[in-house]
Amino acid sequence: MRWLELSCQADREAAEAVSELFARHGRGVVVEDVDVLDGEVVADPDSPVTLRTYLPLDDSAAAKRLEIQKGLWILGMLRQVGDLTERELAEADWAEAWKAHFYVHRVGRRLVIKPSWREYEPKPGDAIVELDPGMAFGTGLHPTTRLCLQALEDLVVPGQSVLDLGTGSGILAIAAARLGARSVLALDTDPVAVDAATANVAANGLSQTVTVAAGTLPQAEPQIHYDLVVANIIARVIVELAPALAAALRPGGTLIASGVLAERGSEVAAALARARLVLAERRQSGDWLALLARR
Amino acid sequence: MAKKVKAIVKLQITAGKANPAPPVGPALGQHGVNIMAFVKEYNERTAAQAGTVIPVEITIFEDRSFTFVTKTPPATDLIKKALGLEKGSSTTGTAKAGTLTHAQVRQIAETKLKDLNANDVAAAEKMIEGSARSMGIEIVD
Repeated sequence: MRWLELSCQADREAAEAVSELFARHGRGVVVEDVDVLDGEVVADPDSPVTLRTYLPLDDSAAAKRLEIQKGLWILGMLRQVGDLTERELAEADWAEAWKAHFYVHRVGRRLVIKPSWREYEPKPGDAIVELDPGMAFGTGLHPTTRLCLQALEDLVVPGQSVLDLGTGSGILAIAAARLGARSVLALDTDPVAVDAATANVAANGLSQTVTVAAGTLPQAEPQIHYDLVVANIIARVIVELAPALAAALRPGGTLIASGVLAERGSEVAAALARARLVLAERRQSGDWLALLARR
Repeated sequence: MAKKVKAIVKLQITAGKANPAPPVGPALGQHGVNIMAFVKEYNERTAAQAGTVIPVEITIFEDRSFTFVTKTPPATDLIKKALGLEKGSSTTGTAKAGTLTHAQVRQIAETKLKDLNANDVAAAEKMIEGSARSMGIEIVD
């Protein structure tokens, strides 16, 4: 999909009104009212504020743009408001931009996350995960993903079966396979994630070991009991799915529940306990938790 | 040594519902930020306020890592909520969209005080009144 970016400058008194106008007709508002010079924040109360909003370029775009122009014209009679400028954007314009800053990085003792567009000379013992996350979550940089990768490194025993619920880019499923899992099922409800994970699994040559599918528990549960289940999602979903997560484990199997903010740790631990899982370990990185629980 | 700041970006987006589409994608992508990491974190931290516009101020560092703080909802949203309005005047600054009492202005000013460039509630009230008038809303006793 293509988008129209609309922006204008306004004095600080007018910024709130312009923002309201943008929010009413556009998709969200970006406000830039602080300059940065040589790494330091420079706040100038007299400098104008730049505001932006976005319109999907569909049949309604022209009418919405006109409403914004009319609103700015009226506001311009009361306050200092600059001209509306516009440019067209495609998703690729921002989806690819961050890749320039994503490098090969090591997590734990053996796992190496290698962006597919970077070169890396493997060292003995490396378990390499080649990755192009696209617009799916899971680069190995976020604390929740790192906690899960480290837990997988500690827990995966060659030959095990693993379920990765909310696979995102597929990073955890691929890591589990690289660490020796015999079979991995990677599920996600987001089609963007399913596509990204499928492509990443294929790029790692693991299509025989890792199956990627659209879905969640318990609907997609194939009546298999896994040695290990990893769910790097969010607290609310883990609480809701706790009984299904427990049911997907074989007796003695381990759940890695992550994506949990520390402040919600007790709530998640209680839900796991209600599902008759025994909390074995609580790992924390910054504000984020991974809970390891056994059936 | 403290990390060098690259940019500060402020977004007005709906709590619990951020996604990589605009405004998040283009606003953060141009600075090299991992968009999905922000989306996940913002949605999880604002889950309890889902549906409300919760502005967020994102500090992006030279190494492309980021931190963010969430703010109180925009004054215009609080005004609309106080009046039970879906939107302000359709012709900003001209048609009357409703009336707000001084007591309501004071309540909104108190909510917004920590995020406004105002020394006291009285100064914040002036700002809220200005926002309300720009929306075509009259202030009454």
